Amino acid sequence: MTPLLAFVTPKLAALIGAAIVVVVLAMTAGLWVPGAEHTGGSIWRIAKITVAEARRRRVTQAVVVLVLLILLSMTFFSYLNPREQARMLISGGLSAITVFGILLAIFVAAFLIPQELESRTVYAILSKPVRRFEFVLGKYLGALIVLAAILTVMTAVLVAVLLIEDWFVPDRADSVFDPNIGNVVFAAVMSYFAVALLAAYIVLISTVSSTAMTVITSFIIWVIGSLQSRIRDLALEATSVFQKLFFTVFYLVMPPLENFDFRHEVSNFMPLSYYSGVYAAGKGIVYILVVLLFASIFFNDRQV
Amino acid sequence: MQTSMHGRGGRYLAAGLLALGLLLLTVPLQESIHQRRPHLFDPARKTKRVSAISTGPIPAVIAALGGFRTVAADLLWMKVEREWHGGNWWALPSLLDAVTQLDPHFLVAWQVYGWHLAYNLHAESETLVDKRYYLNGGVRVLERAVEANPDNWEMIFELGWTLFDRAHDMHRAAEYFYRADQSPEAKSYTTRLYYRCFERTLDIPRLVEALEYAKNRHTDLNSSDDVQHQAIVADNYRFWITDNHIEDRDKHREIIARENTARAQRSVDLYLYPDNPYWDVCPICGLPSPKGSEFCSAYGHPMKQSSGSRRPPGQSRPPAEAASL
Repeated sequence: MTPLLAFVTPKLAALIGAAIVVVVLAMTAGLWVPGAEHTGGSIWRIAKITVAEARRRRVTQAVVVLVLLILLSMTFFSYLNPREQARMLISGGLSAITVFGILLAIFVAAFLIPQELESRTVYAILSKPVRRFEFVLGKYLGALIVLAAILTVMTAVLVAVLLIEDWFVPDRADSVFDPNIGNVVFAAVMSYFAVALLAAYIVLISTVSSTAMTVITSFIIWVIGSLQSRIRDLALEATSVFQKLFFTVFYLVMPPLENFDFRHEVSNFMPLSYYSGVYAAGKGIVYILVVLLFASIFFNDRQV
Repeated sequence: MQTSMHGRGGRYLAAGLLALGLLLLTVPLQESIHQRRPHLFDPARKTKRVSAISTGPIPAVIAALGGFRTVAADLLWMKVEREWHGGNWWALPSLLDAVTQLDPHFLVAWQVYGWHLAYNLHAESETLVDKRYYLNGGVRVLERAVEANPDNWEMIFELGWTLFDRAHDMHRAAEYFYRADQSPEAKSYTTRLYYRCFERTLDIPRLVEALEYAKNRHTDLNSSDDVQHQAIVADNYRFWITDNHIEDRDKHREIIARENTARAQRSVDLYLYPDNPYWDVCPICGLPSPKGSEFCSAYGHPMKQSSGSRRPPGQSRPPAEAASL
């Protein structure tokens, strides 16, 4: 339980949350209901343009090629026993997917809005009947599509490498090459959620700062988000109210990236809790919604 | 209220409230994640790790590596492989310590670490002190491994096996074999090793109990492993119970001599078989002599222990000595 929320049960917290959401949505209906029927089309058009721009970007292609080379080079550990080979391939492969997925998220998402502002193409877009929040959501959706495509390719290559190795590596009585495909795919899907969540934070930062600042802040958020359980420990162990408050707010505000990290369990062939993945995805989607809400508001208030 | 929401401040207030509501909605989700992934989020996990983080990389380094601990452990493991094949055995413990701390669920690393200390370095050591240091070190490493992987029967078996085969601490080995045997994945040899522990110490009441237990385990006649298990247990049962080797003096003598010879070879304390009805065990050479002998029949050692002499492991101290502690 989050330390500051220790006085309420999780169910009660959810009920209070649901009540607040319903009340706020009802009160602000006048803001978001008019024109909502055209929103989908605008967002989709901007997303398609974003995907086309990303395809032209050399950095994206170079990173994908690099990851593929890394994944293929991981087949060289034939001197290890079959179980260790499988472990090394899975942990290295999933880590490569996560690291490069996050790097790509930073380099794709950090340039989405600042570049449009710097090249002034945003004027041409916003002069059309496109609302600012549609622009932000369209850009984010485009980034999600690009990242999904890249992560799918990387996961497919990892799965192929594992299946080929499973075919070639002879099993021993005491050591079996277990490609653990189902769990590997599950972990890769969860990595995608982590990447999607981080991309939302990057979009939020990019609405208020320059490209360089966005990139730097994104790396910091990535590191802090990966230390989620340790921030929670700090909040639990804090001795003063101020410390507790600080770490609890920090814990709630930072992206819960550790929730999506199943690499350790998968590479050690431990039993997985798929439900925790589903819950993590649910929480991630809520965080994405909140972050994009603020990104839209910040961009709306920005002088362009 | 609706009008006030159109202002800048109102928008931020509405967004803040909406965010708060949505975040509160996620509280049960995070709570469920905590319950389902205790190795990651259970606050008690740190206490459990205390014994595992004794030396090697400091916890801050492990924390800084975040989600990449497994990869770091793999890279170090490759170095372990290189050092191993290069014959640099004495460099391995620190590397293996680092690997197991970075990834406490890396079973092979734990197994190799415990085995390397309790077998290789123990055998390579030249002094008794060193031998005991490495043997105890191996057992401690495997205890940490069981602590980090309490549900893994292989790890529990590994500790039991090292206690059985190397440390000759049969009663503790029996405990771990029994615990490993409770796992549905455990192999049938775990069950048989459980009663072998009592065979070696001639703990007859517990041997009979363990044989009965083994007879009722692995009873699926469609499984070749189970059929083999039943055949072996039936054979052992016949030997001990039906053929009444429980009261076979010569068999007792043979077991005592074999066990103490193995202990002497591993520089482990001799076992004195305190309750054996037929033989007294020489506290110096460990060989059996007929009950009541004054001198050891093998080498003529005096059979009576002087104060401060060796006693079987686990046997309590004399009351006067215990009271002084």
